[in-house]
Amino acid sequence: MIQNMTIFQMASGLASHATDRQALTAQNIANADTPGYKARDIVPFEQSYEASGSIAMQGTRAGHFGVARGGVGGEVFTVSPFGIESPNGNSVSLEAEMIRSAEIRQQHDLAVGIYQKSLTILRTSMGRK
Amino acid sequence: MSDLSSTMAASASGMAAQAARLRLVSENIANADTPGFQRKTVAFEAVHAMFDNAGSVRTGRVELSDAELPEVFDPGHPLADENGYYQGSNVELMVEIADAREAQRSYEANLKMFDQSRQMNASILELLRR
Repeated sequence: MIQNMTIFQMASGLASHATDRQALTAQNIANADTPGYKARDIVPFEQSYEASGSIAMQGTRAGHFGVARGGVGGEVFTVSPFGIESPNGNSVSLEAEMIRSAEIRQQHDLAVGIYQKSLTILRTSMGRK
Repeated sequence: MSDLSSTMAASASGMAAQAARLRLVSENIANADTPGFQRKTVAFEAVHAMFDNAGSVRTGRVELSDAELPEVFDPGHPLADENGYYQGSNVELMVEIADAREAQRSYEANLKMFDQSRQMNASILELLRR
């Protein structure tokens, strides 16, 4: 029932998008000194939401909900290097990853906050506190 | 499903790799004056996508630097040859210090990501606690 309400779908889609993005950022940082490693990211949430084209929440990929996903969801792409690449072919910039992780944090907090508030509203409407 | 615990595992692998690198740096520095000592280095490699812990990092084989050993002139040294030279170590302290700094910086970045994943996980669990 909760999954059928758009606001919950949207909030949980945003949270799982943030989780997937966090996974990639953590991998980028873990490989910050690996020769030849290229930093990766997934498409922004807005973009995948727009792409779904309807009010029904699509998440980061069609069939996202209720389907067990392998690996990281959403379209993964290699980011263009922030500044210049290292001589060993590594394109991870710790600074860029820090900015990204702050964005992810914000996104995730927003999603959890909306979820929590909506639950409270739902509870209030049922006459409970 | 990329859950936050596998994210934390990736960060932990990064910390482990940097710690291994830092250990080699300290071994090198400790042996900076050992005659004939060759500097040890380790290469990092990303774990291939076919494994469960894809995307994390691991350390490869420890390798010895093949830079030339410097000839040190000290006729009184027990290892000195007939011309009074012996082979020192090819450890350069400046390089080691720079390496240690980079390892520390990367270690801290991994730790930060680990902590953030933990906090994100905690905020999700907080939803259940109401």
